[in-house]
Parts: sequence; C-alpha cells; structure tokens
Amino acid sequence: MLSQGVIEKVLNAAGETGGDFAEIFVEDKTSSSLTMIGGILEKAVSGRDFGVGIRIFKGCFSVYAYTNDASEANLIKVAQSAAQAMNGQRQNSIIDLRKNIIKNVHEIKIMPNSISKKQKITWMRRAHEGAMGYDPVITQTNISFSDYVQNVLIANTEGTYVEDIRSRNRLGISAMATAASEKETGFVGPGYFGGLEYMEQLDIEAYAREAARSAKTIINAGFAPSGKFPVIINNGFGGVLFHEACGHGLEATSVAYKTSVFAEKLGQLVASPLVTAYDDGTIPNVWGSLNIDDEGMPTKRNLLIENGVLKGYLIDKLGSRKMSMAPTGSGRRESYRYAPTSRMNNTYIAAGESTPEEIIQSTEFGIFAKYMGGGSVNTATGDYNFNVREGYMIRQGKIAEAIKGATLIGNGMSTLQKIDRVGNNLKHEIGMCGASSGTVPVTVGQPMVRISELTVGGRKEE
Amino acid sequence: MDIHNFQKTLFEKGQKSGFNDMEIFYSAKKSTTVKVLEQEIKDYVITEQGGISFRGIYQNKMGYSYTEKLDEKSVAFLIDEAMNNAGIMESDDQEELFAGADFYEKLNRYSKSVANVTPQELIGIAFDMEKAALAADSLVKKVIQCATAKTEGETLIANTKGLHCQSKYTNLSAGIYLMASDGQQTATGGEYDFTWNDVTKINGKEIAEKAAQEAVAKLGADSIMTGNYPIIFRYDTATQLLDSFIGNFSGEAVEKGFSRLQGKLGEKVAGDNITIIDDPLEEDAPGAASFDAEGYPTKRLELIKAGTLRSFLHNRKTGKKAGAESTGHAAKDGYSGVVSVGPHNVYLQPGGASFGDLIEKIDNGILIVELQGTNAGINAISGDFSLSAIGFIIENGRLGRPINQITVSGNFYELLNNIEDIADDLQIKSTVSSPSIKVKSLTVAGK
Repeated sequence: MLSQGVIEKVLNAAGETGGDFAEIFVEDKTSSSLTMIGGILEKAVSGRDFGVGIRIFKGCFSVYAYTNDASEANLIKVAQSAAQAMNGQRQNSIIDLRKNIIKNVHEIKIMPNSISKKQKITWMRRAHEGAMGYDPVITQTNISFSDYVQNVLIANTEGTYVEDIRSRNRLGISAMATAASEKETGFVGPGYFGGLEYMEQLDIEAYAREAARSAKTIINAGFAPSGKFPVIINNGFGGVLFHEACGHGLEATSVAYKTSVFAEKLGQLVASPLVTAYDDGTIPNVWGSLNIDDEGMPTKRNLLIENGVLKGYLIDKLGSRKMSMAPTGSGRRESYRYAPTSRMNNTYIAAGESTPEEIIQSTEFGIFAKYMGGGSVNTATGDYNFNVREGYMIRQGKIAEAIKGATLIGNGMSTLQKIDRVGNNLKHEIGMCGASSGTVPVTVGQPMVRISELTVGGRKEE
Repeated sequence: MDIHNFQKTLFEKGQKSGFNDMEIFYSAKKSTTVKVLEQEIKDYVITEQGGISFRGIYQNKMGYSYTEKLDEKSVAFLIDEAMNNAGIMESDDQEELFAGADFYEKLNRYSKSVANVTPQELIGIAFDMEKAALAADSLVKKVIQCATAKTEGETLIANTKGLHCQSKYTNLSAGIYLMASDGQQTATGGEYDFTWNDVTKINGKEIAEKAAQEAVAKLGADSIMTGNYPIIFRYDTATQLLDSFIGNFSGEAVEKGFSRLQGKLGEKVAGDNITIIDDPLEEDAPGAASFDAEGYPTKRLELIKAGTLRSFLHNRKTGKKAGAESTGHAAKDGYSGVVSVGPHNVYLQPGGASFGDLIEKIDNGILIVELQGTNAGINAISGDFSLSAIGFIIENGRLGRPINQITVSGNFYELLNNIEDIADDLQIKSTVSSPSIKVKSLTVAGK
C-alpha cells in the first residue's frame, strides 16, 4: 500500500521534534451495503475508504493526524505538522523496519467481491420470505446485508511492519409485528469474520423465523414490572451485561487515568467466585477476532477475572506507558480516522456448573431476560443500564408470561458480586461497540447466569 | 486531482458509459482537536478528510458509489460500482436529480476569526477550562475529558442538470467531562458549547463551572421508592427524548410503515400546548442549512401545530410518493451515505414559564437531569421507553436530595398528550432540541 522507503521517511519526519515513538496506519477498505424493505431492494451503496493515520508519542503525550492524501509529499507534510505539537530535539534513533508476515488464522475462502450482488440479494430475499411467512402478524421486514474487505498496513519506530486483510459480512433481519396501532420488532443479525462461505451455509430461514417469533412474542407481551427482583440472563447476547458492567471499566482508557471503578484493584475480589472472564481476540473466524490489533500487535486470550479475583486489564500502547504494564493486543480503532485505544474483542464469562433447567427451577419468582438489547455504562461510577428485548416472568420455578419494555440497571461491581448461578451453556453473539476510537465489531458471550437481585425498570408495579 | 477536474472527467466518462444525469456530492474538512489532562496536553489530533459521493441514473435507476481517493482509478471505480448498484435496484421509484432553485437564503456559517484560531488558543481555552473546573469545587477530583476543537469545511453538490450548491463553514467547540467524589460516592458531570462564527461565545470558565456544579450536586444520591411520580425532564434530557423519536416524522419511515405517525396527518397527536418546528434558517443552530443533500432550498416548517400533525419531513422522492413537495429535508450521512431524510433544527416551541416555576408547582415529584441507555432502552416505533436516570427529588416546590439507580418509563406518544408545562429555557445545541417539560406522571422503578 505504501513503499518501505516512504514509510521510513514519514516516520523520520514524525520524529524530528523529539517524539519517542511514531506509527503509521494505512487503510484501504472497500465495502458494500444493501437494504431491502418489504422484499424490495431499496438501497445499494458501495465505496472505497482510503486514508493514512500518523501517531507520535512523547512519554504519555500523543499526537494523531490523518489524511486521505497519501502522496509522499503530503504524508511528510502531515507528519511534520503533527510533530510541531512536540517541542524538543530529535533523539538519535535508527528505524529498523522488518516486515513481519503474519499467519492468517481466520481464513477467508470466498472474497466478498467474487460473488455477484444478485446472489447477495437472493440471501436477503430468503430472509424476507422466511420472516413474512412465519405468521400473519408480521407486516414488514427490513433486511440488510453488508460486507467489506479492509487492508491495513501498520509500521512503527519499534520496528513493527505488518499488513493484514480483514473481511467481515453480516446479515441483519428485522421483522415487524403489528397489532392495532402497536408496532414491535424482532431482530437477529448473524455475522462472520471471514468470507462469504459463511452465508452459503447459513440457515437463513431459521434466523428469519426467530426474528419473526420474537416480534410476535413482544407484541403480545405485557409490560414488565418495576422493582427489585432476581434476574436470570440467558446465554449468548446476555453477555452484554458483562461487556457493559465490567468490560469497559477494565479498559486502559479509563483504568490508566484512574477514572474506572476497577482501577488499582488487581488481585482483589471484584466478583462472585463463580465468575471467570476472558477477552479473547484469537477465536478463529469469530466476529470480534483479529490476527493483529490496530497497533500491529498479535491479539491474545486475556484472563480478566478468575474465580472472582481481578487478574488483568485490556491495554493499548499509550495505556501501557501510563500504567507501566505490557499491552495486551487490545488497541483497536474503527478506521484511520481514529487513534486506537484499548477495546474489547470477544469478551465472555466462562461456563459454570449449573444446567439452565436447574437455574430456572430454583427461582421462585423473578425475571428471565431471553434477548438483550444494548446498554451503556458510566465507567467512572460503574453504573450501567441495559435493555431487555424479550423477557418473561418466572413464577414458581417456571417460565411464565412474556414481558416487554424492561430496563435493567445496576452497578457493575455489585452486580458481579450478586451472580449466584453460572450455567454450563456458554454461547457467543455479535454486536457493534461504540467508544472513543469509533465503532468496532465485538462479540459478547456468557452462559446463563442468575443475579440474586437487580433493579428492573418496567411500567407496572408488582 | 482537484475536485473540478475530477468532476469533469467523471461526468464525461459516465456519459460514455450510459449514464443520463449524474451528480457529485463532495465534502471536505480540516480540523484540530486538543485534549488536555492534568494541565498537560494529552492528545493533539489533526485531520484532513475529503471524499466524493457519486450518483447517476443508469437505465432509469439511480446508482450510488463513493470514494475517498480522487484519482483516475477512482473514476472507473465510481462508474462501475454505481452502474452495478443501479442494476440491482428493485424499487419503482423514479428518482430524479434536481436542477436547482432560483433563490437560496444566505447563512453565515463561516468566519475568518474562527478559521484563524491557533492551536495555542485552543490549548489556552482547554487549560483554562480544566483549571476552572478543579477550582470550582474541592469535591471535583478529576477531569476525565477536556477538549477543544476547530473545524473548517466545505460541501459542494453539482450535477449535469445545472445544480451547483456550495457552502463553507467553520466551527469552534469546547467540552468538559469530569468526576466529583465525596469519599463515599462518585458522580460525573459534563458540558459543552459550540459556535459557527463567534469566537467570543466560547467561555471555557462557564462551561467548566456548569459541569462541576452538575457533578457535585449529584453526590450523596440514593434511590427512591418504586411508584408513579410527576416528572420534570430538564431541557437536556427532554432533548434526548424528543431526539429519539424524531425518526417517526421521516417521510421515508412513514412510507415504509416504520412510523407510528403513519396515516395521522391532520390528526391530533399531542396536547394543545405542543408545537414542533424545524427551522433550518436559524443561523446559530448546528443544523442550519440553506440547501439540503439534494440541493433543494430549505425553509421553516411546522411539524406539529397546537397538537395537530401538520407535516412529515420529506426529500424529493418521499415528497412525490406522498403527493407533496420536498420540504428540503434530504439528508446524507457524509459522502458514504445515500440520500435519505433527516432533521435540520427541530425544536419544541418553548412555553412561558421559567424552569423554577415548573418546580414550584410540584409537591412530590422528580427532576430528571441525566438519562442513560437511549441507544437501547427506547422503542422508537412503539414509543415505549424505560431508561436509567439520575435526578433530584422535588418536595413542596423545592429541589431536594439527588437520586440515582432509578429508571423512568412510559410511552412517548402518551407523554406528548400529558405535558402540563413547558419552560422557556430552550437551548439549541444539536439538530433536535427541547426546553424543560413537566409530565403529569410516569412510572419510576427504584427501591
């Protein structure tokens, strides 16, 4: 994407005012996205994103600059203007770039551009028909399909010089149920870190029926009660609980600046002893995985919590300087438009001992959150919230009537301590996570867990 | 390649490839952002970004593509991709390009004095802002984010039918987010401000003090008993609510059945005291614009007047489908998006009461000053919401202790019919804004 000679000149220009680290990130990405509404292809857009990000450190001070103009003269100009933000003398350093050929452990068998858009539309049409055919209560669908290939080159003054090709694709199925003037939607969005071989073997109809079933359930559901109850969170996307309640608070972005409730707590009991949690960027072909992070470091399997004890953080290069701890392969960014920062990849609570049946049976009265929506957290206070898309009451140890509109709120650390059952059915689900370095693909995962008491915000008193 | 040569080459090659009408949407911007922490510059970000969106009619269908690289290779890429994308379109909509209007309002969104703000001045504002925040109260323990930014940009829409719309803008902004602690509890507060053309409007000290007061006031919070309470949404949280439901006014959402306002034009959908306006010609608004993403001239529009739904937001295509004109609300998410529909400067018309008047009238209620989880806890179509909130107790017409760990829930459409008072404290800082509102009763979950 850029010659080694140009890269060296740019890194040199970046270091001319005394920066002690410089990095270049080159991105060339082609993407396509298609939208089908009510079975009719309505929108199709494709394009090419191309740009270069240059980052310089001096101690814990960082400068970031980016441009779309990758001519040698302009890159040197941009590097120099970024360097102007440092005022110091050039330090003697020799940049010794050695190209490191990385092994792609996330195979891409069918590149997105080798399959026609017409073929992609047939997949979308199957999703539409699968959802509409489920039940007459389904009145509308919104199907999206997007894919991209992102080529990156990352080089820095520590000698890193790597290139990587990342390809992802995702099918979004939204089914709407209508009853009187009420409208509710069910959504599923399977996706893959690899090529279109994923779509070729995907049981699209089964996903479509699930979106429709969920919409039908929600439209017939009553409002959730308000108050404090035991809450059972289903496996899979329930992992968003851990993502929000704990994961963000373990990122160097807030830990390094001591604005996280988890700062300075390594080795301490922060969760129920039933909780062991990882962030693992290496799982083959899983949505949130990467060969290398966006700072050029191989991703790793990072142990975060073991039997309730805090064991590790997620650390990027800048956070590593501030914390005097090694980076964990967690530096991520949406694109060249963002400086990288510490982010999650595939975060999950490890499987426990209980079966889902015994967790439900041992709950006299409570809430079962089958599907979660998204959520958010204030990492400084640890207060989080997340939304239940499809839920049920639990009465006398059995799943009872469906409920909608519940928001669960709590404080991360106290919630982790109140986990009193962990199931044996770990499952991962995919999502997008927005933070200071943009929106990146992540997976969240967990087995079924029970929290002994949580505030449920519904619209009904019980 | 410069944008004018690029356009010329692109249109020439496009015509040879069988495109009838063609259009480019070009936007470019440069910005400098300074982030300060502990009286040191923590981050310094310099950006320059530009790209071009191409659309054209190929065999009666509109095809889209975009690129950030302006070179020969991209000309071919844009034409091929737009042709492919036009080839698969199934909708029967006859999209046409707009030839331009005779008159466009002049808006002053560019100023030399903003353009000339130096990095040193940005650093100075940020340093002062952080200092003022820490000095404001001894309980302010840490500044989490303290940033200032300057942006300069331009947009050009031009097509083969003669449209040529161009605009330039500058932007200066400052914001702070901080943490207060009393040893027992931690709370956060934030504030920001922006201007297109008036450097003197940005007062770092004021921004910092507001954020500090906010965080300190939230300390010592506890939950409250679950129940139904009269609620005041302060202007910022009222804005968040209105913003989450604005998509229902989109002509596109209405046409596709994704809006609960579908079929309600001319009907009463809100209380008599509710008037919602979009005024793109208000110069200080962040969404101020004299033309939309199709180059169509903008104008002031009443969406709801005295509770009656008067209009949806339309671009040329959705307007035509609905048997109406475009309302000048074609929107585009930068050059990588396609033309859709979106607001410029929507606001709920303020009432006559002061914020204090609203509080005085409540015996036992809650003031909400922060809402979280609007990304997930709102069903934008049904109107149902259940959101994590932070606020204050109101007792006998006075503000009492802070409250946290509660949720407030209800339905937006019911709420529009149950607003008892609207304050006069509208602040326009985003594309959707609201003054503080008082709602008769909503469900609050707590203890």
